[in-house]
Amino acid sequence: MDRMTIPIGPQHPLLKEPMSFTVTVEGEQVLASTMRMGYVHRGIEKLAESRNYRQVVHLVERICGICSHVHTTTFCDAVETLLGLEVPPRAWYIRALLCELERIHSHLLWLGVLAKNVGYDTVFMYSWRDREIVLDMMEELSGGRVSHAVNIIGGVRVDLDVEQARSMLERLPLLEEKVDGALHLVETERTLRARTQGVGYLSPEQIRAYCVVGPVARASGVDVDMRRDAPCAPYDELGVDVQMHTAGDVWARAVVRVRETRESLRLCRLILENLPAGATEVRAPRRVPAGEAVTRWEAPRGEVLYYVRSDGSDTPSRLKVRTPTLTTLITLPDQLRGVALADVTVVLSGVDLCIACADR
Amino acid sequence: MTVVKEAISALVAILVFPGLAFMVISALAFEWLDRVMIARLQGRVGPPWYQPVADLIKLLAKEDILPTGANEAVAAVLPVISLASVLTAALYVPVAGYGVTSFEGDLIVVLFLLSLPALAYFLAGWVSVGVYSMVGGSRSLLQYFSYEVPFLMALATPAIVADSWRIEIIVTRQPTWGVFTMPLGFALAVVGLIGKLKRDPFDIPKASSEVVAGPLTEYSGRKLALWHLTVDVQTVVGILLLVNLFLGGHTSTFVPVAAWISPWLFAGKALLILVLLAAASVLYARLRIDQLANLGWRVLAPLALAQIVVALWMVS
Repeated sequence: MDRMTIPIGPQHPLLKEPMSFTVTVEGEQVLASTMRMGYVHRGIEKLAESRNYRQVVHLVERICGICSHVHTTTFCDAVETLLGLEVPPRAWYIRALLCELERIHSHLLWLGVLAKNVGYDTVFMYSWRDREIVLDMMEELSGGRVSHAVNIIGGVRVDLDVEQARSMLERLPLLEEKVDGALHLVETERTLRARTQGVGYLSPEQIRAYCVVGPVARASGVDVDMRRDAPCAPYDELGVDVQMHTAGDVWARAVVRVRETRESLRLCRLILENLPAGATEVRAPRRVPAGEAVTRWEAPRGEVLYYVRSDGSDTPSRLKVRTPTLTTLITLPDQLRGVALADVTVVLSGVDLCIACADR
Repeated sequence: MTVVKEAISALVAILVFPGLAFMVISALAFEWLDRVMIARLQGRVGPPWYQPVADLIKLLAKEDILPTGANEAVAAVLPVISLASVLTAALYVPVAGYGVTSFEGDLIVVLFLLSLPALAYFLAGWVSVGVYSMVGGSRSLLQYFSYEVPFLMALATPAIVADSWRIEIIVTRQPTWGVFTMPLGFALAVVGLIGKLKRDPFDIPKASSEVVAGPLTEYSGRKLALWHLTVDVQTVVGILLLVNLFLGGHTSTFVPVAAWISPWLFAGKALLILVLLAAASVLYARLRIDQLANLGWRVLAPLALAQIVVALWMVS
C-alpha cells in the first residue's frame, strides 16, 4: 500500500482542543508524525505584566478549563511567598479540597474521553455521569462548576459551614463506590485491555530524559508527586499515598489515574473531617516587594511550576508558567512511531493532553 | 380481471406489505428502539420516537456536496444500489410467514444481496478522494473478509439441517428452533451480523476518533440519507433472516399457539435479536482491525466449520 499523510487536527473528532498532528502511514502502520501547536495561544504570560496581582489571579485561572484552581493556587502561593504572608491553615485546607475535587473531576473526565476514543461509549457516559457529583460539590463550594475564582492573594474567599461539609461527606461513599467500579472495569475488562495494553510505552529512562511528570511518569515507575516531594500544608499533615505502576503503557496510565481518583477521595474525606477552625484569609498589600519566587504544585496532569518576579510595584514584571502537558507532548513522536493508525487515538488520549495549558 | 387482481396484489406485496413501505417503517422503528435501548443501558434518556424520521427528512433536505475530484456519478449511484439491493433482499425474507416471493436457493440470493452494500461502501470510500474515506474503505474491505466467511458458514448450517436453501422451507422444518439445536451457529451468526452492520464493537471502518466517519466522511445530503436508510433496512433484513433461520420464524416450539399470536411471536423474536445487538454495542470497546481479523480467522471460522460438521452429522 502507498504511503499516505493523514491530518489529525486542528479540528478532528479525536481532539477536544485545537492541535495539529500529521501522521504518515503505510497501510495501517504509522511511520512518522509531526505536530504543530499554538492554536490557543492567548499570550497570558505577557498580559500578566500589565495587570495588577489581584487581576492576574483571575487571568491565570483562564489558562486551563479543567484544572483552573491549581493554577491560581500555585500563583497565589508564589505571591504570598514574596509577601511573606502567613496564610491561615483553614484556607490551605479549602484550597487543597478544591485541588483534590478538581483532580477527581479531571481524571473521571479523562477516563470518559479515553473510553469514547476506543469506542466504549458506555464507560464514557458512566464516568461523566459520576463526575457530576464532583461538579455539584464544587458548585456548592464556589458557585462555579469549572472556574471557581476561590483563591485570592492571602487566602480563599469562600468558607464551608458544618452543614455543607456534612452534606459533602455524605456523598463521598457513593462516588467511592463508582470509582471502585471503574477501577475494577479498567483492570479486568478484556476489550479495553486489548486496546490499551502495550500501546504508547515509555521507559523510565525516556521519562527522565524528557522530564515527563504526573500520572504518565508514575505509570512508567518514576516516583514523582509534588504533593509529597514539595510538601506544603495540608498535604504534609495528611500524607499522600502515591500511586505507581511499572507497565508504562496507556493501560497503566488508566490504572494509575483511577487509583489516584480513589486516593483523592480519601484525601477529601480527611480534609473535610479535619478542617481547622479560624479565618480563611489575611489582608494582603497591593504592592509586592521586589524579588523572585518559584512554586510547584501537583495538577491533575502533573507538576505545574510558577515563576514570579516582582520589581516592587503592583504588577508582576515577569510571570512564567510551566505546565505538565508541554513535556508530555515532546514524547509523542516516540510513542507514535510504529503503532497502528487505530492506536494513534489511544496514544493521544492516554497522555491526557491539555492544549490550552500548553499553549497559554 | 384475475390478472389485474393478481397484479394489484403483487404490487401491494412489493410496495406496501411486506415490501417497501413496511421495510422502511420498521427500519426506522428499529433504529429508534435500538437507540433508546442503548441510551437506557448507558444511563441516558434517548431520542423521541420521531427522531429517525426527522433525521431522514433533515438529511434529504440538506445541501448535497462532494469534494472536487470525486466521481459524482459513481458516488451518487452507490447508495442507490445499496438501498435497492437490501430492499430486494427483503422481498425473499418472509415476515411472519408472509413473503413476496420465494424459490429454491433464495437464501443464497439474499446473502449475496446483503453483501453488495459492503462492496459499495468500500467503493464509496474510494471515489470520494478523502484520506479518511480511503483508510475507512480499505478497513471495510478487510473487515468484510473477516466476518463474512464465518457468517456465511453459520447461516449455511440451518440450510444443511433442513436440507433446503429456501427460507420458507427452512422456517417450517424446525421441529425445535435452530437456536436450541445449533446454539453455536446462532451465536456466530449474531457476531457476523454485527460485523456486517458495522455496529459497535466492530464499527472499525467508521470509527470517529480514528477515521472521522470512514468511507462516508465526504458524503452529505440525500446520498448520506440513503446510506443511513440502507444500514437501517439492512439491520431489519439481517435480524428477520436470523429469526427465520434460527428462531423458527412465526412458528412456536414446545407449545402450540393460536394463529393470531404468531405475528407477535415473530416480532418478539426480532426484538430479542435487537436486544442482543444493543447489548453487544454497550458492553465492549471497539477492536482494532488486526484484532478483528484474528478473531474472525482464528476463532470464528474454525468454530463455524465445527458447527457445519456437527450439522452434517445431525443430518446423517
